[in-house]
Amino acid sequence: MVLDKDIHAELAAIVGLANIDDSDAMTDVYAYNWCMEVVNQMEGKDPVPYSPRPLAVVLPSTTDEVVGIVKACNAHGLTFKAQSTGLGPWNNPSTDNCIILDLRRMNKIVLIDEQNMLAVVEPYVSGAQLQIELMKLDLNCHMPGAGPQVSPLASATSMSGPGFTSPSTGHSSRNVLGVEWVLPDGQVLKLGAAGLEHEPGWYSGDGPGPSLRGIMRGLHGAKSGLGVFTKVGIKLFPFPCKVNWKVTGLSPHYQFEKPELMKWYIVDCKTYKSAEAFVQRVEEHEISFICSVLSNFGVSAIFASSIESLLGNAVLAMTKVPVVVLVAGRTRREFEYKTKVMQCIIEEDGLENMAGTKFEPPSISYAEALRSNLGLHGFIATGAFQSSHGIIDTLGVCLNATKKNIPVKMKYINNEQVANDFGEAVWSTSFEHGHMHHAEMLTLYDQTNPECVKGIADYFNDCNAMDLVQHLGIPFFIDGDARHDWYGPQCSNYNTWLRKIKTALDPACTADAGFYISPEKASNTTRNEKV
Amino acid sequence: MMAPEEYKRMVKRCLRCSICKWIPQVQIKNVNHATICPSMDYYNFHAYSGGGKIILANSVETGRIPMSDAVRDIVYKCTACGGCAVACKHLNSLEPLDIIQALREKLVASGVGPMPSQRQYIDAVKQAGNPYNQPAGQRASWLPSDVKTHEDADTLYFVGCTSSYRRKEIAIATARILNAAGTRFKVLGTNELCCGSPVLRAGDASSFKELARKNIESISALHVKKVVFSCAGCYDMFKVEYPRVGNVPFDVVSSSEYFNQLIDEGKLVLKNRVPLKVTYHDPCHLGRGAEPYIEWKGDVVQMLPMVSLNVPEKPKRCGAGGVYEAPRRVITRIPGVQLVEMDRIKEYSYCCGAGGGVKSAFPDFALHTGKTRVAEAETTGASCIVSACPFCSTNLQDAIKESGSTLQYKDVAELLLDAIDTAPPARPKK
Repeated sequence: MVLDKDIHAELAAIVGLANIDDSDAMTDVYAYNWCMEVVNQMEGKDPVPYSPRPLAVVLPSTTDEVVGIVKACNAHGLTFKAQSTGLGPWNNPSTDNCIILDLRRMNKIVLIDEQNMLAVVEPYVSGAQLQIELMKLDLNCHMPGAGPQVSPLASATSMSGPGFTSPSTGHSSRNVLGVEWVLPDGQVLKLGAAGLEHEPGWYSGDGPGPSLRGIMRGLHGAKSGLGVFTKVGIKLFPFPCKVNWKVTGLSPHYQFEKPELMKWYIVDCKTYKSAEAFVQRVEEHEISFICSVLSNFGVSAIFASSIESLLGNAVLAMTKVPVVVLVAGRTRREFEYKTKVMQCIIEEDGLENMAGTKFEPPSISYAEALRSNLGLHGFIATGAFQSSHGIIDTLGVCLNATKKNIPVKMKYINNEQVANDFGEAVWSTSFEHGHMHHAEMLTLYDQTNPECVKGIADYFNDCNAMDLVQHLGIPFFIDGDARHDWYGPQCSNYNTWLRKIKTALDPACTADAGFYISPEKASNTTRNEKV
Repeated sequence: MMAPEEYKRMVKRCLRCSICKWIPQVQIKNVNHATICPSMDYYNFHAYSGGGKIILANSVETGRIPMSDAVRDIVYKCTACGGCAVACKHLNSLEPLDIIQALREKLVASGVGPMPSQRQYIDAVKQAGNPYNQPAGQRASWLPSDVKTHEDADTLYFVGCTSSYRRKEIAIATARILNAAGTRFKVLGTNELCCGSPVLRAGDASSFKELARKNIESISALHVKKVVFSCAGCYDMFKVEYPRVGNVPFDVVSSSEYFNQLIDEGKLVLKNRVPLKVTYHDPCHLGRGAEPYIEWKGDVVQMLPMVSLNVPEKPKRCGAGGVYEAPRRVITRIPGVQLVEMDRIKEYSYCCGAGGGVKSAFPDFALHTGKTRVAEAETTGASCIVSACPFCSTNLQDAIKESGSTLQYKDVAELLLDAIDTAPPARPKK
């Protein structure tokens, strides 16, 4: 499809001519994304990394401009898809009549409220940008596993949101406070304290009246399927330790002055049972800044800067069920308490801390941990990975799923369709030191090899089926009509309710529903999936 | 110059992670100085990022879109500063800058590129030997009568087109410093030819190779041991690109490296106090771009399916091999000068905005980028930006003027001359 000239002019009048582009060259770039080839393969399409091409890309700079674009889409029967930093296929259109709203020009930190420990940000503020401002006030923000370059707003409003620092900084879905939300019909809805008539603020995400947080984002977010979020208030946390942020050396061999009150623990628990007991004790005492169960491949990756250093970490490569814990203290007394407790747990559990004895974590790993840059290390080995499952449950369930996933993955490893990690790759973390954990099983593959793409797509389908049959919860990639309608009947018919929400807020399906759910009797959804 | 197989393999692999838009994440120190890509900062659409151009290359390569004016505009609205490559290769291993360069060469080969103004200066280089279309006979007009050159010298000062015709003060300062140190040197004068940098960056690889061969041949015939460069762009060509065209049988030295050597040897005495607080801008072509390609001959060993290892380790060009310390050493050795650093420096320095053919084709973009850099320099509290590239000099001075800044601009050579010269000659008014 080609964008009608009059509609182009209408959109250009809203954002300015320099901020709209409908050339094939531009729109094709916006049709591309990481893992889009896997989505296409899973939907029975060509395994190419491209979605349908948007009709145009527009760059609004204000909420009013977003409203104008959304209203224009409604008036002309077009769909729209909003994206912030844009990583992942969820940012892509599922129809061929879609306008992309790239929110890059909405990039302001609106407010940092030190006393109430909250910040209000626009969509294109990155986690690192926000953190650097917060550090001046000795505060920190949560960043998702995708890294510090992505949008905290997108994670808080529209996606899942576990991160490496989740034990101490929570989960994006739980950190969201007041929200400014452009609904699919162009109305602006302010949720939480932002919606108060008198003395509005951003300090609460619930009310006025019944809370709509669950409707707004639920567990995994609507991925722009319910409109556009233009501002969000998010919870802040104390910065975990004093730090002199000075990175020296030249890329990729950076060094960092190790914070005095910070210490890595790398503990090989050998068995999942032992790891479960160990992590539960660590989290029970609320002493970790980071506490992750990994595989030997994973632990090697987060301390590596290249494939050579990854494969050269022989000591880490020999671990069976490694758990990495980063302990930090704001005062010496706090740090000493935490490290004493750690030592006590390690000794009582008959374990050993490899960090500082058998393996010296590079100094830059402290900076990367503080900046939540560890997830990006997953790309070092093959240049591509994706996670399956995405379980949120107790640690026991998460690790049980990890164990059960091994034979599922081994089938594809034996077919040489995914990289051989012995089927064990996992990243599991608590959030808020609580009993609930997140677990995702990382899989390395070659996105340019159709056989590998087919393999990982089949593997993801097997993982989704496993989660359903084994009662492991709703995984990451249950999105779109076909998957929701497959899962829903087994899970309290949640799909019916999800569809009712979509129908109530967007009966014409103007907000692209490809990674959410279509309303009843919609004509705008063209995503024809097979499960 | 990227091998076709490598290009085809690499254009399929962008993760669309947006890392290429930022300086390395652990280096971010200021919310306003977090980005690395001038093109993204000005044009905003994802296609303008390093990753966006990799995707664009894939779209063209797979026949999804044709070579078109729209493709050309995106690819050329880029200063080719290489910041995206530094950011990407901090953890990943793609080569966005090489892909951008290859795309430009493909655009030229298909007749769509370069931009019209770039075509004009390529023609000028071919006809007049310089991109400014100035008479070759006036190339040495910068040379003051009091500067002594020696035809039998084994050191050559390669002046470059911009210093010869536009930024003569840099050439003059460099020559005077060499005289002051007693270095016997010569210049090519009217025989000097463009190094080919603007031609290569515009994507005309074959014309560039021709220029490179001519320059290597003519300088080799002089039997000089050392060639000194005060232009970052020329230095980059001779240091990094020429060895990929042919054997370079002489030492290639940047002026700041050579100045340091002269100070170390006691040949330059810094007797004047220069009370200035300065900040140093790393030119892309003296910094990250000046890291030589090291030919790697090894084996790709398949460790596991899909996981391979280069044996021996393949050098990764992350910018670490650029010239960073030499200009800083020169600056900090000058009595009275205080150096204060900007947030974006060395391999993750922010571009001045002039490179990659942008200054001629998209002057508004070049100026915006220059003003961004000037604003960053102002936050340091310095009263002067110092750099080591005539192209940066032009654009940063334009940006200083346009933004109404009170900052001064000086080349390293000009600053050094202030410290050694007993009677500094009047420089052109800023």
